[in-house]
Amino acid sequence: MRRLLLPTVVLTVMMLAACAPVPEADPSSGTGTGATGTVSPTPATPTPEVSVPVAPATPVALDPVPAPERLRLDALGVDMPVEPVGVQAGGEMQIPERPSTAGWYRFGVAPTDDAGTTVIAAHVDDREFGIGPLAKLREARAGDVVTVTDADGAATDYVTESVTYIPRAELPVDRLFTRDGPRMLAVITCGGDFDQQTRTYSDNVVLIARARS
Amino acid sequence: MRKTLSAGVALGAAVAFAAFVPASAATSDDADLAVLHAIPDTPVDVYVDGKLTIDDFQPGDLGGPLQLPGGTYSVALTAADATDDSAPVLGPIDLTLEAGKNYTAVAHLDAAGQPAANLFTNDTSKTAAGEGRLTVRHVAAAPAVDVLAGGEAVISGLENPNEESLDLPAGTVSASVALAGTTDPVIGPADVDVAEGELTVVYAWGSAEAGNLALATQTIDGLHSGPGGVNTGSAGLVAENGTNGWVFAGGAALIAGLLAGGVYATRAAKARR
Repeated sequence: MRRLLLPTVVLTVMMLAACAPVPEADPSSGTGTGATGTVSPTPATPTPEVSVPVAPATPVALDPVPAPERLRLDALGVDMPVEPVGVQAGGEMQIPERPSTAGWYRFGVAPTDDAGTTVIAAHVDDREFGIGPLAKLREARAGDVVTVTDADGAATDYVTESVTYIPRAELPVDRLFTRDGPRMLAVITCGGDFDQQTRTYSDNVVLIARARS
Repeated sequence: MRKTLSAGVALGAAVAFAAFVPASAATSDDADLAVLHAIPDTPVDVYVDGKLTIDDFQPGDLGGPLQLPGGTYSVALTAADATDDSAPVLGPIDLTLEAGKNYTAVAHLDAAGQPAANLFTNDTSKTAAGEGRLTVRHVAAAPAVDVLAGGEAVISGLENPNEESLDLPAGTVSASVALAGTTDPVIGPADVDVAEGELTVVYAWGSAEAGNLALATQTIDGLHSGPGGVNTGSAGLVAENGTNGWVFAGGAALIAGLLAGGVYATRAAKARR
């Protein structure tokens, strides 16, 4: 309770400062008394009651965020390169062709962003290149640490909260690819039943982990 | 057991529902209003409903966004040293703002060089994954223009005070503005960054006669949407056909709940500080 008090007081003072018009100190005008009557008061230039941010309408230079370069899940012996990917022609997330390489969704957030979910995905397998490291993703357990290392060498540890099978058509993409909320990591691959006709798996296997610290 | 079950179902439904309410829903009672000053050489004060709102507003500056309840607002621009809004240089004009929408009010020159004001509605509907939106507005004292990207006219015959919008793959566009039907730039070429999931609004403003045509830029985020899906297997080498119990119907709701729960946990942690 004591700790709450100070910020509240500060906030109140700031609000008062922001709301109260600043009186113009003009000794010659007898401001505020209205009784002298002989000197006509100089009209005060008003000040805004609210503070509206104003800036030149020039393009804001974007700081490129460091791209994830490596994905490690030590408990499962997964250690794989990561490359930036975007969107393929049909609107789905682009996935590196080889299951041994994972893709980081570059239109989402990166580990260094202060909010949102970083999304990394890889093929579970491929007819030419075989089974990939994320075939083990389904074995991950809550508490397993997932480490993402950026191109600049910075590593971010995430702690696994869940591993879930979701029918691919029901993947909550707008929640997963969010730029808001806590710093999370989603690692996605495929699993479940395989349909020989469409050559697709029934499900996505989704690991959700939360940034440590 | 029945009670537990129905409570569980209700919770699942609530979580799933909460997850799909857009983040902006909490503020949808308000309209967003930005203000662009695009009248050259004329600093002004901006009054909204008689109250000074932006002091000493300089040409080329963008103010806001202000969150305002839906309704009609009277806006007047005065000389920058005015003491009230009794002698406006422009207005008062009524701006009708609808809750949940995003606007930019622009003070600018009309095609003939006279001060004018326009309320533009910004298209903040979702963009496709991988794309951003570019809106171009002609608010300059100049005839109709073409907007050229890579030497080709991508927008043709745009007149003051009109606008045109394009959804483009995210990236940098080298754009220039030329008088309609010509290719000699009167502005640019300039690099315009169209960021994914953002609206980039480019204003051509100033006066051709005075030789001060320029670009102003405004960006609005929150248009982002996720890709259509994640297809990550094609060989069936690790298929689990026949192993029952894997397909987890509540999976989507569970994920949504975890992410949403995370939001609440963060808020609680901040409140405790």
